[in-house]
Amino acid sequence: MKLTLKVWRQQNSQDKGRFESYQVSDVSTDMSFLELFDVLNERLINEGKDPIAFDHDCREGICGACSMYINGRAHGPWHETTTCQLHMRAYNDGDTIVVEPWRAAAFPVIKDLAVDRSAFDRIIQAGGYISVNTGNAVDANAIPIDKVDADAAFAAAACIGCGACVAACKNSSAMLFTSAKISQLALLPQGRPEHKQRAEDMVAQMDKEGFGSCTNTGACEAECPKGISITNIARLNREFITAGFTSK
Amino acid sequence: MKWSQFFNTSIGKKLLVGATGLFLCSFVIVHLAGNFSLLKEDGGEAFNTYAAFMGHNGLIQFIAWGLKIVILIHAVIAIQLTIRNRAARPVKYAVRPGNKTSSWYSRQMAVMGSVLFIFIVIHLSQFWWAMHYGDIGKVSYGAVTEVGNLYEVVWFAFKESWIVALYVLGMVALSFHLIHGFKSACQTFGLNHPKYNGLISFIGVWFFGILIPLGFAVIPVVIYIKQI
Amino acid sequence: MLDAKIPAGPLETKWSKYKSTVKLVNPANKRKLEVIVIGTGLAGASAAAALAELGYKVKAFCFQDSARRAHSIAAQGGINAAKNYQNDGDSVFRLFYDTVKGGDYRAREGNVYRLAEVSAAIIDQCVAQGVPFAREYGGLLSNRSFGGTQVQRTFYAAGQTGQQLLLGAYSALQRQVSLGNVKMYNRHEMLEIVKVDGKARGIIARDLVSGKLERHFGHAVLICSGGYGNVFFLSTNAMGSNVTAAWKAHKQGAYFGNPCFTQIHPTCIPVSGDHQSKLTLMSESLRNDGRIWVPKKKDDNRKATDIPEEERDYYLERRYPAFGNLVPRDVASRAAKERCDAGYGVGASKMAVYLDYAEAIVRYGKIEASKKSLDHASEQEIIAMGKAVVAEKYGNLFDMYAKITGENPYETPMRIYPAVHYTMGGLWVDYDLMTTVPGLYALGEANFSDHGANRLGASALMQGLADGYFVIPYTIGNYLADEIHTKPIPLDHPAFVEAEKAVKGQLDTLMGIQGKHSVDHFHKALGKIMWDKCGMARNAKGLQEAITEIQALKEEFWKDVRIPGKQEEFNPELEKAGRVADFLELGELMCKDALQRNESCGGHFREESQTEDGEAKRNDDEFAFVAAWEYKGPSSSELHKEPLTFDIVHPSQRSYK
Ligand SMILES: Cc1cc2nc3c(=O)[nH]c(=O)nc-3n(C[C@H](O)[C@H](O)[C@H](O)COP(=O)(O)OP(=O)(O)OC[C@H]3O[C@@H](n4cnc5c(N)ncnc54)[C@H](O)[C@@H]3O)c2cc1C
Ligand code: HEM
Ligand code: SF4
Ligand code: FES
Repeated sequence: MKLTLKVWRQQNSQDKGRFESYQVSDVSTDMSFLELFDVLNERLINEGKDPIAFDHDCREGICGACSMYINGRAHGPWHETTTCQLHMRAYNDGDTIVVEPWRAAAFPVIKDLAVDRSAFDRIIQAGGYISVNTGNAVDANAIPIDKVDADAAFAAAACIGCGACVAACKNSSAMLFTSAKISQLALLPQGRPEHKQRAEDMVAQMDKEGFGSCTNTGACEAECPKGISITNIARLNREFITAGFTSK
Repeated sequence: MKWSQFFNTSIGKKLLVGATGLFLCSFVIVHLAGNFSLLKEDGGEAFNTYAAFMGHNGLIQFIAWGLKIVILIHAVIAIQLTIRNRAARPVKYAVRPGNKTSSWYSRQMAVMGSVLFIFIVIHLSQFWWAMHYGDIGKVSYGAVTEVGNLYEVVWFAFKESWIVALYVLGMVALSFHLIHGFKSACQTFGLNHPKYNGLISFIGVWFFGILIPLGFAVIPVVIYIKQI
Repeated sequence: MLDAKIPAGPLETKWSKYKSTVKLVNPANKRKLEVIVIGTGLAGASAAAALAELGYKVKAFCFQDSARRAHSIAAQGGINAAKNYQNDGDSVFRLFYDTVKGGDYRAREGNVYRLAEVSAAIIDQCVAQGVPFAREYGGLLSNRSFGGTQVQRTFYAAGQTGQQLLLGAYSALQRQVSLGNVKMYNRHEMLEIVKVDGKARGIIARDLVSGKLERHFGHAVLICSGGYGNVFFLSTNAMGSNVTAAWKAHKQGAYFGNPCFTQIHPTCIPVSGDHQSKLTLMSESLRNDGRIWVPKKKDDNRKATDIPEEERDYYLERRYPAFGNLVPRDVASRAAKERCDAGYGVGASKMAVYLDYAEAIVRYGKIEASKKSLDHASEQEIIAMGKAVVAEKYGNLFDMYAKITGENPYETPMRIYPAVHYTMGGLWVDYDLMTTVPGLYALGEANFSDHGANRLGASALMQGLADGYFVIPYTIGNYLADEIHTKPIPLDHPAFVEAEKAVKGQLDTLMGIQGKHSVDHFHKALGKIMWDKCGMARNAKGLQEAITEIQALKEEFWKDVRIPGKQEEFNPELEKAGRVADFLELGELMCKDALQRNESCGGHFREESQTEDGEAKRNDDEFAFVAAWEYKGPSSSELHKEPLTFDIVHPSQRSYK
């Protein structure tokens, strides 16, 4: 099939950026969305032009590197699917596809479709861990954990840190991402001792990075490739309220 | 975290919006109950008595002023958040998802809220200002003497079709504001549990989102129809 | 002579004795010692965190935009540990034994025993960090058997074990970053090792965003840069996985161990066309219930479901009645290749075999029916119930397959084919994990150490974390104890200046070529040579041809590669070019190593060395050694042999018949 791609091109963080259109023919339905970009880039290089920069690594939906805002949708139209797992079967001959980077003040564009998501690392640095030094641990089975809680903790821990939640949210809020980590650790007994400090510090860092607040529209949950639920946001709110009202 | 820090975080602010919002929700219930006496064709006795009681009881006056402050706090913080949220995305997307990922009314809380705000200002200047500072006729009912005839003012106002339309519009805004707002406030307070989510949605949509605004909107419409 | 420095004494006490006698560095001195860690996968993140906890000053580097995206994130199946929670007879010794045997007797007993010994502590540590492993209803950890072992020793978190373990290590690392003990360098690529007086003393790295070169000093440097499977272009590795860090170390004097030992995983989604950029692994667990077959007739173009039972060849069950579809990875892979090469392959490309769930669906359906006492369930009802069971067990894998291929695996058999998955080879290290360059260490998949010629499922994660959490924190002290008087070397030291100049020179050359072909063009060409001639089956003639072809390709690359953009900006093509330049050199060495090793062992199959019925034949008399290659200049290397002795596990020929 033949497609028209309108892609955001931006030389670097200072550049203003603009859309450019490309016609791509011979698109196979078996291609992944990123392979379409590979093919286009190969052509651009052969034409002596600058290829389109985008982040990607594992190409199997787990590293969280890929990040394209496709026709108004974070990671494109398929449910619970990352950009790298989206396949061209999703499109028809003659379609026009508009591709933009994640847009958020906290995710400045590095080049074209690649953005800087180090704000997420800093949120984790603020408290997304359990303070246990190597070698300190007790026997793994010394801490039995209710399977329901363990499963819920796992479901929250499945977050790949891609930032689609921020990209999809009208407020560029990082609540889903932050709540996923806070929930994982709040649900496990190992995470309880520092849960108040964690909630306060991570929320403070999230605000400091310039993410918006949560209006509970649910767009994050709808676009999250890993199906992280906004029940985690409710849990984050509970954790934060408890901390705010009872911490010293 | 000190209180000052706590209420300056995004979640702290949301809690204030949520708490004030829920307080306003409880107020609208009371307000509507009182308003239904407007439809009694008793020459205004029930309504005017009620209005006079509300206007002179010290405690209620205190709450009434508090209410205006609450609306202001709610609106100011909500708008602060909205400004902040806009700033969080300096460059907008060229293509947006429309209603595929969220409902339009959940995204338009500030717009619905602002319509509401304008409505509230007009509403207060029309009736509350008139009642307290304006020059309105007085009536007496048995033991209750010389109370302001707000009933007449209201019936008079709702002769005008555009005022009725304005009130209906205000209530449409309230409806959508609360369809999302009630549930959202629960989520802000951390109330999200599969066993209760159905109930929360039901109350938000049917009670606060439909029944209450409909009740408010019915009053001017009925008064208007009765007078043509 | 290569000295692996295995401590003397009985196997069981080597490590404990080592730990209680190794040199220590006192806390005040640790603060003065700087360690550079290249890579933040399981090995790098765990090492960086553990060393920082001890008090060392650590700088960690990764080329991704976040440490959390290292390729370890993609591991699916699980991690082994000798916990014996299932009371099924597991023990440190058994895990050790299985690993040495599984590696086809090409690993060191001492190292492997230590690995098995520390395995249990890894699980404890991860649970303490909040890694949400799968649990039973009683609240205790769940295990499964993996990769055909007879005990259940694999811990897992759904199909995302690597992700959960890496996020655990990543969070420990981020904690140290927040405490100021680790400085993290994301989007940085290490491009050279700096040596001063023969010791590793730092690196040259390129900031991938600005494109600027940086100098970093360290009293020791740890290479934790993962495997080099991408030398084949198509593999299950992430797009960015590369050999550059290890290769630069090699060129600076670190020997490369067993470069030709590659693991080809049997169950991957086959290539769909020229656009293919990588291959996706389908978990090994699928072979527990699925049956693998090809048509009995050559070039059979009927739909799979139209081919009647008697015209199907369940070749694994036919050839290996004892193990059937559960034979080890290398055996299953070769058998698939054999059928496809003989013309029995399926799908458009004819380079695939079927993995069929139809029978499993009916089997599970019948079990469900009898559980529910539905004696007269119709065939459709049984199939529906069976599909539900299969969906519960393998749903995420089936969905992934459907997304990629557009076919419904519940209705038609999946098409699978082997793909490059893991590299057992890597930098040669001694018991301390030190390479032949003093102060330069290699951990995780980047070293050659524990898996011999074939890695068992769920053992790479174990090794990466063992190296990082529990081995290097001890062994590095052995070296750094003597370095406490070494002051940080100023970055204008001639060694740094020279190294940076050399790196700059290479980048300038690459940018200056401005030839006709993209980097991928050369990478694909290299991949094809490697896959055809140094892939699942190798022979002397092919390998010799491959060496010549790679040399020619390398020459062409340096004449004709085209890299757009500028050097001092974000330029992914330039990054790729540097990596492919190193792959070209590595590919040649792999072929040399494969040529030298005229025996079949583990993942390395030499056609010259097989039994009459086509099974691999090891040659312990001549090849019971580690091949450690020393770099001697372009296309020139010298082979050193580290003999392997087996005191405990006596080598025998593997048989799965
Ligand atoms: C699809 C798949 C599934 C797997 N499943 C399993 C499994 O179930 N069980 C199991 O035990 N094993 C499994 N493995 C193998 C296992 O995942 C890997 O062997 C292991 O994770 C490697 O870890 P590592 O820390 O050595 O390297 P990696 O995780 O690959 O990390 C490499 C790091 O080095 C950095 N790096 C590389 N080069 C440079 C450079 N030049 N400069 C700076 N940084 C650099 C990268 O940024 C990255 O941070 C699987 C592998 C694959 C591909
Ligand atoms: C009777 C009047 C009102 C009621 C009952 C009401 C109620 C609510 C409730 C319950 C919420 C949800 C809080 C949460 O999500 O935690 C809310 C949110 C909001 N309200 Fe109101 N409100 C009223 C008037 C107003 C007015 C006058 C404004 C003025 C601008 C306003 C603006 C907003 C905004 C912008 C939000 C969303 C804040 C966010 O989540 O980002 N509301 N309101
Ligand atoms: S919550 Fe979902 S959308 Fe957000 S970063 Fe995690 S995986 Fe991505
Ligand atoms: S490239 Fe890793 S999730 Fe898409």
